[in-house]
Amino acid sequence: MTRNKKLVLWLVFPIGFIAFWELIVIVADLPPFILPSPSLVFDRFLISVKDGTLLTHSLTTLSEMLTGLFVGTSAAIFFGYIIAKSRVFEALISPILVSSQAIPIVAAAPLLVIWFGNGFFTKALICSLVVFFPVFVNTVIGIKSVPRQLSELAKSLNASKWQILIMLEIPSALALFLSGLKIGATLSVIGAVVGEFIGADEGLGFLINLGRGLFDTALVFVAVLTLMFIALVLYGLLSWVEKSVLYWNDHQKASVLK
Amino acid sequence: MKHVFTILLVFTLLTSCSPLEISLKKTPEPTIVRLPMGYIPNIQFAPFYVALEKGYFAQNGIELIFDYSFETDGIALVGANQVPFSLASGEQVFLAREQKLPIRYVYTWYRDYPVSLLSTDLSLMSLEELKGKQIALPGLYGASYIGLRALLYSAGLSESDVNLNPIGYTQIESILAGAEQNVIVYSNNEPILLDAQGVEFNQFSVAEYFNMASNGIVTNEHTIETNPELVTRFLNAFRQGIEDTISNPDEAYEISKQYIENLALADEAIQKEILMASISMWQVEPYGSIDRENWANMLEVLVKMELVKSGMTPEEAYTDQFSK
Repeated sequence: MTRNKKLVLWLVFPIGFIAFWELIVIVADLPPFILPSPSLVFDRFLISVKDGTLLTHSLTTLSEMLTGLFVGTSAAIFFGYIIAKSRVFEALISPILVSSQAIPIVAAAPLLVIWFGNGFFTKALICSLVVFFPVFVNTVIGIKSVPRQLSELAKSLNASKWQILIMLEIPSALALFLSGLKIGATLSVIGAVVGEFIGADEGLGFLINLGRGLFDTALVFVAVLTLMFIALVLYGLLSWVEKSVLYWNDHQKASVLK
Repeated sequence: MKHVFTILLVFTLLTSCSPLEISLKKTPEPTIVRLPMGYIPNIQFAPFYVALEKGYFAQNGIELIFDYSFETDGIALVGANQVPFSLASGEQVFLAREQKLPIRYVYTWYRDYPVSLLSTDLSLMSLEELKGKQIALPGLYGASYIGLRALLYSAGLSESDVNLNPIGYTQIESILAGAEQNVIVYSNNEPILLDAQGVEFNQFSVAEYFNMASNGIVTNEHTIETNPELVTRFLNAFRQGIEDTISNPDEAYEISKQYIENLALADEAIQKEILMASISMWQVEPYGSIDRENWANMLEVLVKMELVKSGMTPEEAYTDQFSK
């Protein structure tokens, strides 16, 4: 597909969607509390941009997300590496980590608020818990995916553990790790919002709650669309990082295809 | 001749009963009403459980289904005419109407606004002394927030005079952990639970300072216009449930056990105390009647908070045609 065709598709689909949305509201004569029109949502967006509320709340949520993403990813790399390298740890920790994923974060979040208060720390912690698992699983698979022949070759060449990690394991695991990180980054949005739903006076989750409490559905849409935008930007950034770091992967694929 | 007469008689009987009339003579199908409760199953809903168990809703041609969801979601459903009724506190009606939701309050259930400020700081003797203090509350919306604002308003304080800390519904735990000293709670629930834990506190009830329109039944304008007798039937059944609960709380408690999963395992003394505290707030004379002053007070607070800007009057929020 040519660049121009891509651009046209990128423009046509959102414009068509917004036009369809506006049309539904007009034809069905829907009141704003059921479905606000795109123009009403845009008006509400402008108001919240002008009075600074959207920026303040977005920055709060973003800082919770990024902190959670950093902490969750760091923990996932640490535990992922240990479990990938040690069968004993795998047998001990894996069942706990896997079964912990069955705990709905909305059930755990109120407990975390009671234990740690309702400040920034708890929200970042909830985010990190949500981020942890996809990054962890991909890290373990990535580290384990090092071809045995290469591993044995490195050992036969007397490569140190550090050399094996830097020159073999990290490059092998990087593609899967970054895929997990992309999933984790988008999930961190959910983590931040869940934390803010439980108790907050700032953040986009709080703004959604406020909009619901005031029956201001347009405000709910503004907050939700902003969250989607943040998730999209984070995903795009990580995709760019992935493409830049794994440029050799594309070359490899291309050479295989040739 | 005899046969002819018999045939004529059967023919007359058959033609006199048209299919329409036959169907009308059947027992009419009950109207299914899904009721958003605004909270989890709780002893405070005993009148509904009693009315359902004793068949008052069935006698009024209603099949009642409980829907334990958020208060605002229930009101939105009523506004969208997806359900005919919901439980709601007074301020929600103004807030909803401000956003053009065509809902109206039709029946007062709680006489008093059921929100209180509890303080474990026993030196705090008046609301004015709250200045500069931290107050924890579930969130910056809903009845708790409006109740707090009314308390501050009556003490001549504003929101900026205090430090608000939204903590979700963790007031009891926060007090017990010593994390908070001043919390906003429901008057008929948390004070009893804290008392049972041996915690000493001072209570400042909103109703004592600035009473406002409290919890009751809301419907939408479509139902009022097209099906007013459904409203009457629903409120009749509910009123009978309230009357029976007030006259026989022990029986109401036993009935409620069937509807509240863990009530049989809960501390009966505490739960009965919560029921009695709730009953004391249901003493509306006559049942369901609208207190115009409370509605005017409520609107005054909401206008002051700039949550209502459209210039609506208190009368737009309610109708007393079903509670006279």
